[in-house]
Amino acid sequence: MATITIPTALRQYSAGQSQVELEAGTVGALLRGLVETYPDLGRHLFNEQGKLRNFVNVYVGDEDIRYLEGEATELQSSDTVSIIPAIAGGKS
Amino acid sequence: MITFTAAAAQAVAAHAESTYPDECVGLLLGRIEGTHKLVLETHPVENRWQGQVALAESDNAESRRDRFYLDPRDYLRADRAARERDLDVVGCYHSHPDHPAEPSGRDLVGAQGVGGGPAFAFVIQQVTQGQAADLASWLLLDEGQRFEQEQVEITD
Repeated sequence: MATITIPTALRQYSAGQSQVELEAGTVGALLRGLVETYPDLGRHLFNEQGKLRNFVNVYVGDEDIRYLEGEATELQSSDTVSIIPAIAGGKS
Repeated sequence: MITFTAAAAQAVAAHAESTYPDECVGLLLGRIEGTHKLVLETHPVENRWQGQVALAESDNAESRRDRFYLDPRDYLRADRAARERDLDVVGCYHSHPDHPAEPSGRDLVGAQGVGGGPAFAFVIQQVTQGQAADLASWLLLDEGQRFEQEQVEITD
């Protein structure tokens, strides 16, 4: 079972769970399994084209999946996958 | 509502003064009870703005005086630090040098990855002429369409 961690503000869509354990062979399968369990998370993770939203990042251990094999990145049962937002802005 | 310990509020102010006239950025660690957030510690990070994301029609990739970027790798480290100590990331902060502690249109665009709601605060520290001034906290509401100010309390 891989573990996926949920950032604070998205826990309102995961029944308050800060992490979830799921059986999945790839990051994509893990994310789909997560959204199947908690459908309201879907629109906060994926855009209308089904791609990860711009400011949403997924890490396996310390690596961004965009620099691995994306959603095809294979998982070991000991892996921890983290959903992590990027935050940006500026005064003017 | 959000409550800061005096030390945590002072840490935000000191960080904002130290990076003036550039914007600073960091995360807030603490506890959440319902919609009430208690900030126990700050987790200052580097403003790594280099134009990584589009916030306006034109963004100066060099200008950390009016832009900030909270790198997800820094967020990941803060998230781990919080979990190890049984705390939560209850919000983030950044500074507005010589500008009111009110969120801008760029702040709204750049907050869209977070999820919003009352469990996560967007705190802004105003800095005027190098001195920390107003501290304000904002919640991202209505599916990320607007910010609403929340009450800030500072305790001993």
